[in-house]
Amino acid sequence: MIRRKSVRLAAALAVGAVLVAACSSDDKPNSDGTTASTVAPTESGAPGTTGAPGTTGAPDTTEAPATGWAVDTADCIDEDAANAPIEGTIKIGSVMPLTGGVAAAAFAPVKDGFTTYLDYANSKGLLGDVKIEYDVQDDQHSKDQTPGAVSKLIDGGVNLVSGIIGSADNAAVRDTLNDNCIPQLNALTGLPAWGDVENYPWTTGGLVPYDVESKVYAAQLKELYPNGAKVAMFYVNSEFGTAYVDAFKELAGEYGLEIVDEQTVEAEDSSKPTSQVTNIAAKKPDVVMAVPLGAGCVSFLTELASAKAQNPDWKPATFITNTCASSLILGAAGPAADGLYTSGNIIDVTNPANAAVPAVKEYIDYMTSVNHGDIVSTAAAGWTIAEVTVAILMQAQASPEGLTRASIINAARNFTYTPTLGRPGVVDKMDGENDAFLAQSLQVLQYNATTATFTDIGKLITQFES
Amino acid sequence: MKPLFRIKSGGAASWVIRLLVTAALFALALWIPTRGSNPTIGYCLDAFVLMTAAMSLNLLLGFTGQISIGHSAFFGIGAYATAIGVSRYHYSPFVTMPIAFAIAFVLGVIVSLPALRIKGIYLALVTLALGLVFPQFLKWPKVVGFTKGPKGIDAAGFNFGRKNRTYSIFGWKPFGDMRGDGSLPLYFWIGLGMVVITYLVCRGVVKSRVGRSIVAIRDNETAAAVMGVNLPVTKAIVFGLSAGLCALPGCLSTIRTNNVLPDSGYILVIGSIVFLVVMVIGGAGSLWGPIVGSVVYTFVRVKTGEWSGHAERIPGIIRPMFDWSKSPVGDGIFAVLLIVLMFVAPFGFVGLAKRWTARVVAVTPRPAGTGTLLAASSATAEV
Repeated sequence: MIRRKSVRLAAALAVGAVLVAACSSDDKPNSDGTTASTVAPTESGAPGTTGAPGTTGAPDTTEAPATGWAVDTADCIDEDAANAPIEGTIKIGSVMPLTGGVAAAAFAPVKDGFTTYLDYANSKGLLGDVKIEYDVQDDQHSKDQTPGAVSKLIDGGVNLVSGIIGSADNAAVRDTLNDNCIPQLNALTGLPAWGDVENYPWTTGGLVPYDVESKVYAAQLKELYPNGAKVAMFYVNSEFGTAYVDAFKELAGEYGLEIVDEQTVEAEDSSKPTSQVTNIAAKKPDVVMAVPLGAGCVSFLTELASAKAQNPDWKPATFITNTCASSLILGAAGPAADGLYTSGNIIDVTNPANAAVPAVKEYIDYMTSVNHGDIVSTAAAGWTIAEVTVAILMQAQASPEGLTRASIINAARNFTYTPTLGRPGVVDKMDGENDAFLAQSLQVLQYNATTATFTDIGKLITQFES
Repeated sequence: MKPLFRIKSGGAASWVIRLLVTAALFALALWIPTRGSNPTIGYCLDAFVLMTAAMSLNLLLGFTGQISIGHSAFFGIGAYATAIGVSRYHYSPFVTMPIAFAIAFVLGVIVSLPALRIKGIYLALVTLALGLVFPQFLKWPKVVGFTKGPKGIDAAGFNFGRKNRTYSIFGWKPFGDMRGDGSLPLYFWIGLGMVVITYLVCRGVVKSRVGRSIVAIRDNETAAAVMGVNLPVTKAIVFGLSAGLCALPGCLSTIRTNNVLPDSGYILVIGSIVFLVVMVIGGAGSLWGPIVGSVVYTFVRVKTGEWSGHAERIPGIIRPMFDWSKSPVGDGIFAVLLIVLMFVAPFGFVGLAKRWTARVVAVTPRPAGTGTLLAASSATAEV
């Protein structure tokens, strides 16, 4: 069942999954000379050393555990449980769509990436004597079923949950988890709402907030069009789409960007956006800012290419959200995706130019060894979220309190870390109420449909870090 | 094949069986929220939502023969009535339920107007349009002030605050801890109350003169009209009642998840399909059908969810069909079970149970008019 904003990722990955199955080209290197500009994290000058997992045996935190913000456990239903030491085994729970149609197929690689990293962490003994157990429950991507799934996790004795997919799904259980004082880490959704430290201290987001991504594009447009530009917006009429549009409009005036048209599409509408794109083409804007959803990425790009072919003198710059940035999805759009701008903070693991990066090589080798070599591209997000989760646990373990539920959320909110698959310069950081969002840096990229690779545009944009 | 036992409808044996079943259900209803695990209570709540929605649809489709693929809209009305009432007007969630019922009832009556002239696939299309339009209506700029448009509404359920509050009766806490996962018993009682009320309303309607009218409409509309059934009024009442009852699980959904969005959950038209599937699994045109159907649906959904990604957990009989797949197989298993069920039990589980129990116990109905005669004779004796 397709739903809401976070479905963007679902549908995007769905297309990707279909393509993987159809083409089996996910991890096949291009034989031609690619010009991708992504470089190894170790050469990036990023804070800290991001060794490959196999090289270091453990994710490297870039700073010593901070001692700033601390959660108040006095409000917990069971304060003693929140501060009880976790020994022997730590149980991590998650809720993802494992059944329920397209969403299940779309998110399957995320789940596989997530659980595979946790297996990897156990095999490397990243938490020393503490063994990681995990339990991923199914909610069919329906918020009505998430509470039941979380009840089962709590009943099963999970010490924390991580990587719950979907905004409504996370919102449906955050009261329960906060009342029970169970860390709800790295929600796989980019709503700004996940930064509410005061009311939901036990809940943190795992994706770059949608509004930050939108502002990154606005900032890049200011660089590309210093004298201003006319912008047309195409977006999904959902919480997901409006989060982008509202943020973009905030900065548009300041950056000299005039919004000349707004066209929308419904999240469940799978028809081609022909009329919307025709209306946009009639205004001949300099820039088209697109926030489509899943398979809608492909149909939008196809329609836009058709409109441009009918108006040879119109050559707009096209910005599209990074949920469409998978080379698999853009590959489905073919030449229609050529030249578009998007963004990312994870290395493109399918780019042959990155094959020698130790972290990428280790990642692909391990995934291949567990028969997941065909999903390395789409599983990278799940792998990275699990890696960040384990890094938080390591930091909590190293704290004076040792590993407890309270120390885990304290570690998460006083956290600085460079993911091994992060792009050069990307640093995940949270600092109590001062910085409630994990990831806020993005690299603007341009897609080359011929080589199926991305080229960095400008520098990593970090100005929207809290 | 002759049945092993014969009992008279309304006789002593019949009443004993009814009492035993009622006592068992009552004991189960007490046991689950007090002794059952939280996941069990949670899954019961999932089932309660589907149960009520499917019962409301059953009243319209199963008994009256009026198809609707737009019940997700009525569900949405309930969800939004509670969300708006709680977050904007600070009403108690309990107060919002009758309001939701009333709003959905009126809309249901309005929707029944085209049903007076069209039926079958054409009526299905009209109701489908309602189901599709409703989520868009919630984003209409003129109502966004109430519905918050695509962003939906948060803080739409109970606000228990951060302090522990419990109500205890001689050590028994019927509503749990009223916070976090401990508040599940409270939701259980709300859900159970909703199911019982809906069942009693449906039963009351079906067993009444209106009930006989709607069954007559289902079986032969022309004949029903000839026999004096007022088609427009009867259809309007049933449509309104069905819509109003379907709003109640929407209220529960919002209360439990504390938020509502136009693009999520059973508010989408897929919700109507799920309600339909639940009704058919249990047995359309049977009062117990939706109840059984929702329990079966929830159980199978949970099980197939557990099997997804864990081929070793799939039962041996069906494992060879699915263990080759690298994608989640839950949906495929569910689909196969549904196909098998339609062959084995075309009238749902309740129909299947009736067929099997008929081989063991035959219930002899009372001769027509017996009850009335007995009542009349006893009344005469009293005089």
